[in-house]
Amino acid sequence: MIASTRSPLMWLVHLTVAALVILWTIPTAGLLISSLRDKDQLASSGWWTALSSSTQSTVFRAPGAEAQVEKDGRFVISGNILQGQGGKISAFGFNSRDPGAFEAGTSTTLPGNETLTVAEDGAFEISSPTAMEGNRGQRIFYTVAVPPRFTLDNYREVLRAEGLAASFINSLTVAIPATIIPILIAAFAAYALAWMPFPGRALLAAVIVGLLVVPLQMSLIPLLKMYNTVGGLLGVPGKGYVGVWLAHTGFGLPLAIYLLRNYMAGLPREIIESARVDGASDFEIFVKIILPLSFPALASFAIFQFLWTWNDLLVAMVFLGTGNDELVLTGRLVNLLGSRGGNWEILTASAFITIIVPLFVFFALQRFLVRGLLAGSVKGG
Amino acid sequence: MKKTFLMGVAALGLLISTAHAADLKFKPGEDSKFNWASYESFSKAHDLKGQTLTIFGPWRGEDQTLAESVIAYFSAATGANVKYSSSENYEQQIVIDTQAGSAPDVAILPQPGLIADLAAKGYLKPLGADTQKWLLDNYAAGQSWVDLGTYKGGDGTSALYGFPFKADVKSLIWYVPENFEDAGYDVPKTMEDLKALTEKIVADGGTPWCIGLGSGGATGWPATDWVEDLMLHLHRADVYDKWVKNEIPFNDPAVLEAIDEFGWFAKNDKFVDGGAAAVAATDFRDSPKGLFTSPPKCYLHHQASFVPSFFPAGTVVGQDVDFFSTPSYASRDVGTPVLGAGTLVMLGKDTPASRAFIEFLKTPIAHEVWMAQSSFLTPFKGVNLDAYANAPMRKQGEILLNATTFRFDASDMMPGKIGAGAFWTGMVDFVSGRSAADVGANIQKAWDSIK
Amino acid sequence: MQQLFAAIVTMALGVLACAAYFYLSNLLLDRIFPSKNRSGPEASRNLRIAGAIRPWLFLGPALIALGLFLVYPVFGTLWYSLHDRNGTTFVGLENFRWLFQDGEFRQSIFNNFLWLLVVPALSTFFGLIIAAMTDRIAWGGFAKTLIFMPMAISFVGASVIWKFIYDYRGEGSEQIGLLNALVVYFGGEPQAWISLPFWNNFFLMAILIWIQTGFAMVILSAALRGIPEETVEAAVIDGANGFQIFFKIMIPQIWGTIAVVWTTITILVLKVFDIVLAMTNGQWQSQVLANLMFSWMFRGSDNGRGAAIALVIMVLVIPIIYWNIRNARREMGGR
Repeated sequence: MIASTRSPLMWLVHLTVAALVILWTIPTAGLLISSLRDKDQLASSGWWTALSSSTQSTVFRAPGAEAQVEKDGRFVISGNILQGQGGKISAFGFNSRDPGAFEAGTSTTLPGNETLTVAEDGAFEISSPTAMEGNRGQRIFYTVAVPPRFTLDNYREVLRAEGLAASFINSLTVAIPATIIPILIAAFAAYALAWMPFPGRALLAAVIVGLLVVPLQMSLIPLLKMYNTVGGLLGVPGKGYVGVWLAHTGFGLPLAIYLLRNYMAGLPREIIESARVDGASDFEIFVKIILPLSFPALASFAIFQFLWTWNDLLVAMVFLGTGNDELVLTGRLVNLLGSRGGNWEILTASAFITIIVPLFVFFALQRFLVRGLLAGSVKGG
Repeated sequence: MKKTFLMGVAALGLLISTAHAADLKFKPGEDSKFNWASYESFSKAHDLKGQTLTIFGPWRGEDQTLAESVIAYFSAATGANVKYSSSENYEQQIVIDTQAGSAPDVAILPQPGLIADLAAKGYLKPLGADTQKWLLDNYAAGQSWVDLGTYKGGDGTSALYGFPFKADVKSLIWYVPENFEDAGYDVPKTMEDLKALTEKIVADGGTPWCIGLGSGGATGWPATDWVEDLMLHLHRADVYDKWVKNEIPFNDPAVLEAIDEFGWFAKNDKFVDGGAAAVAATDFRDSPKGLFTSPPKCYLHHQASFVPSFFPAGTVVGQDVDFFSTPSYASRDVGTPVLGAGTLVMLGKDTPASRAFIEFLKTPIAHEVWMAQSSFLTPFKGVNLDAYANAPMRKQGEILLNATTFRFDASDMMPGKIGAGAFWTGMVDFVSGRSAADVGANIQKAWDSIK
Repeated sequence: MQQLFAAIVTMALGVLACAAYFYLSNLLLDRIFPSKNRSGPEASRNLRIAGAIRPWLFLGPALIALGLFLVYPVFGTLWYSLHDRNGTTFVGLENFRWLFQDGEFRQSIFNNFLWLLVVPALSTFFGLIIAAMTDRIAWGGFAKTLIFMPMAISFVGASVIWKFIYDYRGEGSEQIGLLNALVVYFGGEPQAWISLPFWNNFFLMAILIWIQTGFAMVILSAALRGIPEETVEAAVIDGANGFQIFFKIMIPQIWGTIAVVWTTITILVLKVFDIVLAMTNGQWQSQVLANLMFSWMFRGSDNGRGAAIALVIMVLVIPIIYWNIRNARREMGGR
């Protein structure tokens, strides 16, 4: 469109965008890779090392004396340290103070006079001329080079969570109406603020912007109190979907009105005035001209409102409740973390499971953010 | 395509509903280690068919499954329909719910400080003298537990509001027995021995301690456990109580002594893995892992009885790792104090079902079902210790039963702004280099500002 | 399934009811004050009255919702801020007096000021250049999706992401935080980034910028696409280069939208709270107003002080409102 696509400037554009995209994606990439690693690795090495083979020092506990078999007059416990996970052992030991004392493939004598042999492929053998005792197996320290290893266990665990499907439906039940209702209400209000002259219009528009700042936490208690009172009068519980929808509508409206008003005010005046001259009413102008022209703005607000309601935890918890039947997806996944919030590996996987729906919405609505709706009209002024 | 999807969803729905009709974990009457008689007689005395009981508690994830397995017995015995719920922000949620008038029938919370607030605002119902007497008679160190559950109500009079159920022992030091054998160390008998061991490990070229205070927004709390535990071992319990109530200031010499004692361990670069600078930054969930590395990053770790959930997968307590209770100072005569924590059960609404639930918690079976699974300790003398799922849990249970003094985590009992604010921050400042006197004075200042 | 069905029905009813309200109220207004087929004076009188009422029909539902969900709690907050912790005793301005002598509060004001300077500017800047540049390249849609991703990740997920960036392990042990790994790789000393007073503010800000750039990008990208092609083409014919077109033709046309994005992010920054709560909880001198308010309300259980801080946050927004009124007036002046 602008300049020629082959100019050095275009190279600069490509490079800048690539650099920014990489910068922005690195944290998320870290999360994605982490979600495919196992719990113990997560806390012990950086996620970027997951892609290359690494050397690890760790411990294996051999089976206890009950596993020994008598062979050629010697008592033997044998097995494989690596348990089929692959890798190559370079060194081993039996004392925590010198865990890499011996080279793989050699033998050594344990304090109890048993002989310990560890091969490169992980096969080990403890043998003793007399029967071994005790059910605590021998610890074998070893250093191993392991190839990159990934697992889907974290995802499996999250997806297996009880009630996940129900929570998914709960989340949709909350998010879809909580996206559509405010858009509808805000579109009318924004049109009035942008194109219908009345006294105090600028002030009202600004006050609505100001309402953006009202902290959510301040509204929760008075609103729930009100819901309980109204619910009491009507004989229904104070907590429920209608309450959540209305709350999300209320909290989302200021931004919706602000964004839409700004967009609508920027629409070419000629179109609206010529429609007025043709005798169209405000209602007709709104429905037939403004609404279709505002699709990019409506779509972009819809994306954000959907995101917020989908990822919201607080409003849903307070106005819907936290019981098994009411939990939304985010609530369900957060509860998987356990009382002390220790299971990060679950977090990593669940973050990617929750992101799917909002990304889908983004893709679906992105095509409305198109150019050309206004083609043919020259902006006034 | 669409049809198969719908069928899939329907099948999932079925799965969910069957899972809800949770079968009882242990069949009544089967295993004799359980006190089934208490279950039968409770069942006969209570019929709550058609009634609903809502319980709001702090347990999520695995803990929630465990709690629900106990609640299932209450449902089965009474016919009541119980709805348990929890949430990540349960502290916030309970404040909002009670203030807005949608309190749960039964609330379970681990923070006495928060309970005190709720009670003072008149949102809780007193449990009554019978329950108080029952606790005195049936819990080890009963008076300690009654004091723990007693708060000033909305009318300003003190009454029992919280029923302690489920405890954690915090006076525990974890170590790997084989690492001790390899190095030739013995489990210390006194605090003086522990300090000597710490120095010996350094002399041998090792690092004695793993200490991590990181916990996101709650960073600092593991240090408060340290200080409380040392406080309890340095001074008599009444000094501890005065400290909790701020009857002695936070910068009282007794308190500063405990803080400095913690500093002896945590502020020495040679004593802690990663050096003193790493203490505040290391996550408490990561720090115990240092015990198990090859070679070990550290030999000792001070943490409550819940810590095994943060050990590497497959770690067997009692074999791969073991614990001893924080040793007493040979030079101080304070008995065998135990620092702990736990959850308290309160009535948000006074209904037959919520009353019956408290009665249920007085039966041995309510304790034994959880004991037989995991992460549950109880000071209830009427339970069968054989019901503990394994030897280490039983050993911790015995520590609790044998305590001459039991004291609850002080930071949980202090007002939220201190116990979950200034104290945490103060400890982080302390390990980052500020002096105990400085930090103590600061916390006291914060406390004065909320009086 | 049943629930989903009920939800769809309720939703359809809700949407229908909304649409019906607007349509019918409008129809009613036209019936009561008809202007068509009436005599001249009567028609113009009716037209004037209908014209005065109609905006309020359009605004009605929005004003009711805003009043109920936002204005009413503001008055509740005002009331609480003049009462003690339990909301029982009137204490006048005591909460504010206390606030202004509190060191933590002053710290928060300072930090909030830093946030206000840095975050809206950088988010808007990055959002704008990404929106403008991705418009020109074939893989722009893909690039935008990746930049948008942080917005879509729930906050719970984001906090783990940044743990993997800022995590600190003692010197000598393997770093699992990317930043420290890089520092160590280039021979530096690892730092506990989150606990460096003053600088930690900027590390927390990076998280919000990372998230909010996606917002700025989407809104600005919609605005850029609304620019009539003729204006750009005319400039191309006049021989303007890319930079000139961007700064002289495009920026002025979307200036209003830039102001909107800036304002929105500024207000969001005033309310920023979960990032600070999850990463530091205000420790290491990183406290901000919204987190301080939260801490007094739910941890300190002092509604009075919490409400007072909330009011301070609301007062801080007044200059922004004023600026917006001026903008709106200027805009409408041309109409």
